[in-house]
Amino acid sequence: MSTTAETAARGQPRRRMRVDGWRWGGRIFLVFMVLYTALPMIWMLLTSIKSGFAAMQFPPQWWPDQPTLASYQKLLDPQNSVGQDFLRFFWNSLFVSTATTMLSVIVAVPAAYAFSRFTFPGRNFLFFAVLLRNMFPAVIFLVPLFILMRAIGLVNTHGSLILTYLTFGLPLAIWLLKGFYDNIPVQLEQAARIDGATRFQAFILIVMPLSAPGIIATAIYSFIGAWNEYIYAYTFLSKNEQLTLPVGIQRFFSENTTDFPGLMAASFIMSVPVVVLFLVLQRYFVRALTEGAVKH
Amino acid sequence: MAHVVLKDLVKTYGSFKAVNEVSLTVNDGEFVALVGPSGCGKTTTLNLVAGLIPITSGDIVIGDRVVNDLDPKDRDIAMVFQNYALYPQKSVYKNLAFPLQMRKLPKDEIERKVKEAARVLDMTELLERKPRELSGGQQQRVALGRALVRDPAVFLMDEPLSNLDAKLRVQMRSEIKRFHQDLKATIIYVTHDQLEAVTMADRMAVMNGGYLQQYDSPAQVFAHPVNMFVASFIGSPAMSLVPLEASTTNGNIVLTGAERWSLELSPRNARKVARAATRKVVLGARHSTIKLHKSAVPGSVPAKAYTVEPTGDITFVQAFVSGAIVNVSVPPAIAVAPDEQIWLEFDQERMHLFDGETEMALEAD
Repeated sequence: MSTTAETAARGQPRRRMRVDGWRWGGRIFLVFMVLYTALPMIWMLLTSIKSGFAAMQFPPQWWPDQPTLASYQKLLDPQNSVGQDFLRFFWNSLFVSTATTMLSVIVAVPAAYAFSRFTFPGRNFLFFAVLLRNMFPAVIFLVPLFILMRAIGLVNTHGSLILTYLTFGLPLAIWLLKGFYDNIPVQLEQAARIDGATRFQAFILIVMPLSAPGIIATAIYSFIGAWNEYIYAYTFLSKNEQLTLPVGIQRFFSENTTDFPGLMAASFIMSVPVVVLFLVLQRYFVRALTEGAVKH
Repeated sequence: MAHVVLKDLVKTYGSFKAVNEVSLTVNDGEFVALVGPSGCGKTTTLNLVAGLIPITSGDIVIGDRVVNDLDPKDRDIAMVFQNYALYPQKSVYKNLAFPLQMRKLPKDEIERKVKEAARVLDMTELLERKPRELSGGQQQRVALGRALVRDPAVFLMDEPLSNLDAKLRVQMRSEIKRFHQDLKATIIYVTHDQLEAVTMADRMAVMNGGYLQQYDSPAQVFAHPVNMFVASFIGSPAMSLVPLEASTTNGNIVLTGAERWSLELSPRNARKVARAATRKVVLGARHSTIKLHKSAVPGSVPAKAYTVEPTGDITFVQAFVSGAIVNVSVPPAIAVAPDEQIWLEFDQERMHLFDGETEMALEAD
């Protein structure tokens, strides 16, 4: 009993750390970072509900005098041409990003598992070969990939973008997921196999649920990468009906003079899927899901 | 339950031989411990029996089947892992039910068997918990439960106690022993702790460097180690080994030490020494078979005390004899000072003699 009391007493001062200059410095820095990231988004939201005239005023209206949802109505109205274009870009982006994400997970999961669990000839070489792509800036591959896409007749198709995004996303997805599999004790699969599961069942029933946070993190990473990509989409696609959102928004508004509230409303709508994805899936980012599996 | 036969079992990784022609038979209902230092091949051997890694050559028989190429799931075995390997996302109930579900048992039978196992292991109130909400001892119990719920032919245990604290380990040791007695289960138990092997096993297989050194009952291994490795590995504190030289004075075989003393041998021990390949002979003695004298007595050899370790009911004295450390136990009443000159008398009946070249035990006949 006395030892417990002593430990508790000794533990007390350690838990209440002194708030010194460094700690305050850190807090101020964090507040600054929050403002730095949040203010542009707040300004985006505020501008999107102003009228076109109010958005151009100087000094700016910090709070819109007459808030209006007109820009949103225009963008989301399938009856007028602006809305039609915007919605088409939106669906294009959604299709390309979703397809990229699904393919990348479907390929990365078994690949990462194999790199993590099996030894086979050329394993290390292959693993680093996978990362080779990421050692160069993406722009370097722009022209070669364009020539390649034209040769196989994929220019002006969404397939060209999906393939390209996979070449960027897959290496990191495999690398990320391998880290997750490395952290799942191999004894869990061995136990499952002894308990009557085949190797594949052990993977599906035991390993997959445990690697769910990793798979979700990887999926979000792929999705956001594809959703935001601009240069390749700008180069590979030229037909208006195929454009993805980043290119679409840019092209669309330089054609219709600079409609700032419209641009900001479109930007806001574009960021909605990413935010929703995070909010819906964040509960899967449970720390230490394998806690209690094995004793170290 | 079933017997297990390993025949000339070999596992190589490239040019490295992890398991070298290991042959042994585990009888039906027998508790066999595979014991040895880390890297000796004991866990590899167990994984070969489990089918988790493919064998290079040899045969494994479980029951009446050669299981060399069978999947782990088809070998009718259960395994308890060192780190327990409980499924973290499943409750205790589902952990226990998993092996039964995999065998497609009807739901009501699964429930009956899980509840029975929980009752036997006294963890009925833990069934709804997740593994992370359990203490180390409880996790260990669940791991054991998951093995026994299925009633397998053979239990394989890979250092199941090494992650428990000392007190719990002693408690679980007797529980596993009791578990073996009640179930009459065939158990192959891997441990690096010779004490676990000695206290629990019917027979123990001492391994080193991938080779099976000795396979016998703990009492037999303790009393008659076949070589110097087994002699020094089994028993705590370890058997003291003193390299000496054999020579002949007046027609009698004696052992001489670096300090020019000579030790006369009993006729039986002399016969043993005579069989050594060279003059190099190693004398082995356990601490309890050596008597400590403060003055020279016939049959004793000079030694110099090095350290003195009182443990309460006995005091261990480490002393140099012919350049080697010898461990002697004395009653606490006897005071020995470091660097004091002492004399040690070895019990001729219980001393061990090894060939200095081959390191094998010397036999009288």
